[in-house]
Amino acid sequence: MKILVFIKKNPLFSLGTVMFFLLVFIALFGKYLPGIDTRLDEIIFLRDENNIPFAPPFGPNERFPIGTDRLGRDLLSLIVLGARETLIVIIAIALIRYLLAIPLGFFAHKNRFGVNILLNWINGFLSYIPTIIIVILLATLHPIVLSKIRPLYLILIIAALEVGRVAEMIKLELNQLSTKEFITGGNAVGISNFRLLKKYYMPFLYGKLLVNFVGDIGKVMFLLGQLGFLGIFISHSFMQTDAGVSGFENTSLSWPTLLTDAFRDLRGAIWIPFYASLAMTYVIFTFNILSQGIQKLLK
Amino acid sequence: MGWDFLKSSFVFVLIVLGFILLLLAPRIMTVHNLGGYYTPKTEMSYKENIQAFIHDFQTDGFGENRYGTRVLDELKVFIKRDLMIVIPSFLLSILGGIFLGIVQFQFRESPFGKIQAFFSWIFSSVPDFFFYIAMQYALIKLFYVGLPQFNLYGSDKWYSFILPMIAVTLYPMLHMSKYTFTSLENEVGQDYLRTAYAKGLRTLGVLKHLIWNCLSSLLNQTQFVMLYILTSLFIIEKLSNYFGAGYHLYGTMINNEDPRTLAFILPYLLIMFATIILTKICRRWLVPQRSGEAR
Repeated sequence: MKILVFIKKNPLFSLGTVMFFLLVFIALFGKYLPGIDTRLDEIIFLRDENNIPFAPPFGPNERFPIGTDRLGRDLLSLIVLGARETLIVIIAIALIRYLLAIPLGFFAHKNRFGVNILLNWINGFLSYIPTIIIVILLATLHPIVLSKIRPLYLILIIAALEVGRVAEMIKLELNQLSTKEFITGGNAVGISNFRLLKKYYMPFLYGKLLVNFVGDIGKVMFLLGQLGFLGIFISHSFMQTDAGVSGFENTSLSWPTLLTDAFRDLRGAIWIPFYASLAMTYVIFTFNILSQGIQKLLK
Repeated sequence: MGWDFLKSSFVFVLIVLGFILLLLAPRIMTVHNLGGYYTPKTEMSYKENIQAFIHDFQTDGFGENRYGTRVLDELKVFIKRDLMIVIPSFLLSILGGIFLGIVQFQFRESPFGKIQAFFSWIFSSVPDFFFYIAMQYALIKLFYVGLPQFNLYGSDKWYSFILPMIAVTLYPMLHMSKYTFTSLENEVGQDYLRTAYAKGLRTLGVLKHLIWNCLSSLLNQTQFVMLYILTSLFIIEKLSNYFGAGYHLYGTMINNEDPRTLAFILPYLLIMFATIILTKICRRWLVPQRSGEAR
């Protein structure tokens, strides 16, 4: 009964939680679900009613509920199996961003190490030039392209680029908090800056940070989707495909990689980009609802 | 005002220079054969790259594309197409967004307002690329059922700009509407409103007061709206085969055509700059000066 009252009081939070756990469930146990082809068999051709073979991609039919990709792999299985990697990457990016932003925001609030100027420039630059263009320019840099830990670099780049926005928000919150009396009290007692941040400021920030953090996960998914259309993924490796010829080889199952051929697919196999971006939209939705729900809950 | 303008121009120049420096970081790779191993290496160092760029720029300007057309000539065509989307989309986002926000505010207690709030929230969570693909998928299905066919892709028909424009406008417009709603709601309970009601003003008259007072914070959003439109344009043009500057920008970046990339991104930066300057002018002429109000 209590649960029902809670759900009625916090519909958004409840809905968001259910959607989130569904996502986690698929990411963890999706491969055990019935109808999921874990081997991702490539079907080379099917036969139509006149027994004439035709090649993939196959549109949605009884055998493949949402169709196949260009190699004839079941799209539903691809999306389910790719969920885990996608989730890990977007959450990692958001997490790194916030871990970087908290100290930066604090230093900016204290006006130390020129962090304030740095933040102003980063934010100014990014309010002129679309983030996605900067990501492309940085991601195609030679040392990063050839690095063995390229995925890590890319995660860091995407996390760091928007760190300015988050740090600015934290700074403003801290500025507001610092006028409170208990902070003056802490200062008067003479505690260290680290302790001041940890014990005096942070307890008041956790709620707000959580709301923004969850919302940001959705935003990261959005950016990765956009990058996917342009063929820039977190994980693919630069390989020697032939003597003297090197190229990018796709080595992951994450959702944005399904959009690689989106421009071609839109004219034929539109279900591939449609369902891949539908999955991303679901993620964005989940985290938006959850973020709103938490905000209402904390009020 | 003049001082403000100078400062903005200075920042603009710095941002262009910063972008050029980022653009010229060494990217071109060639593969060398070192004793059986094929190792990719960059062709030029950063310094050489910058020197070459300056030299090229002095001798040939933005140069030619690989088919021998002057970059500036092709750019003129592309920019015209871009502006066909950007300008209506911007106006629609700002004006339509404010209008939707006002409507939602006016009916916030009634079921109509609640439904509107719900839908605007749902649609603002939908990424533009999904919205666009879904729109195309739906139209293709409708063509089968009997909707008269028209061209979904390309940029050669007079109506080509409409579909991409809708996709580009959706999010900024809803953002604007949400923002308007919130700032109007923050004004509720202010003394001047009570006075206005007490003097017998009707709803519309009071709304006019409200909007006038919110205008300053609404104008703050123009830069964000424009940035969002340009970001989104970059993707949607690719998705819709709309041959604007945004469509070609990605190709130039991947193919390391540095002067061409610069030529294609400069209009974007100039549009942003114009938005900032226009906003400043609007703020100066339109926004009422608040006297002695501590807020």
